Amino acid sequence: MSVPSSWWIDWKLSPGALTRETAGRLVLFLLLGLFFLALVLSGGGNRFLSGQWTITAVLRFSVPEAEGRGIAAKVSGLAVVGSAVYKSPEEAWKEFTAAYPGLDSLRAAGGNPLPGYVEIRLRPDRLSEKAVASVDAALRPLPQVEEVLTGGKWAPRILRVKRWVNAVFWAGFGLLGAAFVAIFIVQEKVRTLLHAADFAFLTERGVSSRGMALRRAAAASLCGAGLALVSIGAAAGTCFLLDARYSFFRTVVGPPLEIMAPDAIVLLVVFLIAAALLSGAASLIGWRAALSSRR
Amino acid sequence: MIEAFRLGALGRDGTLWDGVDLSFGDGEVWLVSGPPSCGKSVLLRILRGDRRPDAGDVVVGGESLFRGARDAVASFRASAGMVPESFPSGAFAAPRPGMARTVRDLFRLSALVAGPIAATERQRREEELLALVGLSAPDSEAGTRPCGDAHAWELSSLSLSERARVALAVELLRNPKYLFADMLVANAGKDWTDKLGALFRALAREGRTIVLAERAVPDRWQVARTGDPAASGPFSFYRLGVPAPEPKRSDLEWRPDDAGGKEGA
Repeated sequence: MSVPSSWWIDWKLSPGALTRETAGRLVLFLLLGLFFLALVLSGGGNRFLSGQWTITAVLRFSVPEAEGRGIAAKVSGLAVVGSAVYKSPEEAWKEFTAAYPGLDSLRAAGGNPLPGYVEIRLRPDRLSEKAVASVDAALRPLPQVEEVLTGGKWAPRILRVKRWVNAVFWAGFGLLGAAFVAIFIVQEKVRTLLHAADFAFLTERGVSSRGMALRRAAAASLCGAGLALVSIGAAAGTCFLLDARYSFFRTVVGPPLEIMAPDAIVLLVVFLIAAALLSGAASLIGWRAALSSRR
Repeated sequence: MIEAFRLGALGRDGTLWDGVDLSFGDGEVWLVSGPPSCGKSVLLRILRGDRRPDAGDVVVGGESLFRGARDAVASFRASAGMVPESFPSGAFAAPRPGMARTVRDLFRLSALVAGPIAATERQRREEELLALVGLSAPDSEAGTRPCGDAHAWELSSLSLSERARVALAVELLRNPKYLFADMLVANAGKDWTDKLGALFRALAREGRTIVLAERAVPDRWQVARTGDPAASGPFSFYRLGVPAPEPKRSDLEWRPDDAGGKEGA
């Protein structure tokens, strides 16, 4: 009898207060959504590190340019490799002289002293010791390759630091999410206490208390999912704006279009589902807490 | 039909009453009277399913309220209206400073229980009911609040009589099949005794069962005491005569010239 009209029971009881509360939650969700999207795109420190850190395969002097490009193309095909670019001896010389001006005289003695090389960057999401080792193992046996530079003894340390940085970022995200859930629980509890007399009125007139709690939780879940969706949309828009305005954004966070990648979409769906479930849970916990405190 | 068999209730100091039998038929108005603190409110709460009796059982429409199906009480409550002795309470009227509830809020709450009602239909019924209980704007107690839409009146500003009548109107919005009212006639004031009697008779003619708890029987009501005194505990059960003719809606509507004066708070 009472189900259809009392689905959005809190909205019917106090639309103004609920609107303000929802607006507040939207702000929190916007913060969380932006944080989450930045983490998904960047992988924490992965994007920055993979942009800065290259594996260099130094080729022998005798390797012609076409062969060098062929090696680069083959390396690009490895699953862990983001990009592999062949640099000819001439390009290598230009880079050298740009980095160390005034050493032009070195070439006068006997031609270009630098060989060509292949500059390899790993995919941000695959950056690990195992990936470095697999690239090293693929290149080292080649007769055209003189040497493979992977960072030596520093590589494991840097990768360990990267893991810590990522853990700190995700822990920060988790803490922020937990803090917001705690705020939602308090909001739910206060609202339930405020409307305790209303709920008692309804219960005394045959509306099931359990049903009311579940309907409120369902409504809170829907609201949470909706707010999360809006926040992700707004965060994506913000990423596009920042990317257009600041060049470092792409280096640190990544290209916003990668939001459309299947892995990212799966994570965003998980975010929406988690937002819905936690909002519903907050509603139920707030309801129970309010009832307990009234007893 | 509401029937009770060998009902008993315990109070703080022992047995409040015991062995009460009663039978209230559909389309009847019943008045339960008794001395102060004899447990009239408790009886009403038990009959409505708000409190489990310490002895006996209540049967509504042939089904036990407390020993039958689990949802029997909830479904019975959904079809029953309740006007408590003190309602709306202070906590309800203003749950926190600056958040005063209005008559509109109370109707909105009742409409939640009633199920889907179109907004215009609800508005029409609310206005009709407010007029029925003498709470349309021009008829309100002068000087107590700004004139205007009675829906906007704050509950905390209402007099005792107005609160009782608002509570009645709010319950009637849901068209309850059963109506329980605790001290409603006394709280509504002398000026409303006859009008409420007429209203209850009209409601009974529509097939509703009305159960009133009052300390005393209103003087001008034509009532007949019934029931076995030995099975009535401390209560006296009176049945209000309900004439047979079909009711005319206009009989129920309250007109300003019906009022003999302003009722006190």
